[in-house]
Amino acid sequence: MAAPADINQYKELARRYGIAATPESVSRLTQLVARQDCCTDEICRVIEKDPGLSARLLRVANPHAADEAEYTVGTVDQALMRNGIGCALLLAMGTPLSAALIKTFQTMLSLKLEAVDTHQLDSLTGPHMRGSIGFAGKVTGHVYLRMSSATAKAIAAGILGLEPAELTDNDEIRDAAGELLNIMTGNFKSNLCDAGLDCRLQPPKVGMTEDFSTPVEPGGGLERLAFRAGKIEIFIEVTANPFMD
Amino acid sequence: MATKILSVDDSRTIRLIVGKAFRPYDCTVLEACNGEEGLATAAREKPDLIILDVTMPVMDGVTMLTKLKEDPALKAIPVIMLTAESGRENVLLIAKLGVRDYLVKPFKEDQLIEKAGRCVTLEKRPVAAPAPTPA
Repeated sequence: MAAPADINQYKELARRYGIAATPESVSRLTQLVARQDCCTDEICRVIEKDPGLSARLLRVANPHAADEAEYTVGTVDQALMRNGIGCALLLAMGTPLSAALIKTFQTMLSLKLEAVDTHQLDSLTGPHMRGSIGFAGKVTGHVYLRMSSATAKAIAAGILGLEPAELTDNDEIRDAAGELLNIMTGNFKSNLCDAGLDCRLQPPKVGMTEDFSTPVEPGGGLERLAFRAGKIEIFIEVTANPFMD
Repeated sequence: MATKILSVDDSRTIRLIVGKAFRPYDCTVLEACNGEEGLATAAREKPDLIILDVTMPVMDGVTMLTKLKEDPALKAIPVIMLTAESGRENVLLIAKLGVRDYLVKPFKEDQLIEKAGRCVTLEKRPVAAPAPTPA
């Protein structure tokens, strides 16, 4: 745990540099998950106080349900009992990840990206662009970014201030997708490390694929997130397995 | 004389964005894709400002910053960190090493220009005169 002097100094630096703070509920949840001896009651109370976290936990706990009416796991308590601490960890990671993705679209593309239920979007079919970043340490897993090649091109062009037709270099498209992944994962890694779940990011890998499988290690969890802005549709998958080292 | 700015980032996308941000100003933007290249370019070109990423292959930004501050010929060059990592440990370490400012990705070009403008003089490039119309 960081010394109070360090925390105060960090707060002062964050204010001076304009670094945004992680939501209190997410920081608290990550700290609890990082304590391996923490009881699920405490985690449950933090999640129940945050409607957004509660809704996401229930969605993760009911992976096959199309909507809330089909949920077989109906309470935060049940979800934690059934899915364990890895599930809470996914929530702690998904919030800064989503926030960073939405902020990236807002600041670099002037687009309002909205988080939507994965069932609301048409699934990708056939070849698509997939980026992945692995992270390893006290928590281990991957973040996957999937989108159509047209979306990847539109995003890269937007970030670079070009028209999609002007962008003919596939390396530039791949590099922009990789940077998008870097920005998202850098934000959630900071949250994990601050809570004591130290981990290191691996370099992003980006390429075209027809493979839709997402490997999850034994004991780990998977959360799927979807986002939309006009014709742009983006899918994110997070897999995590806590306390690996 | 044009202000020399060195952008050190493994992402070509970020280097392009940094270059684009400074295009309206009388600046020369130099590029390096890791800390090792960044140190070599800094020693050769003596830039007025370095914009530095943290996570890079070969040599990361923290190592480059440490080496830069150990070098009497380079230690006075102001450095702005431009990174997605804003974790407590990283920020405290980097501040201790003597960074001038810190900008978290994603960022707006205006934010970068504002922070850079606090470190170096940025003068707008003179607007090119319109070509004379044929008589």
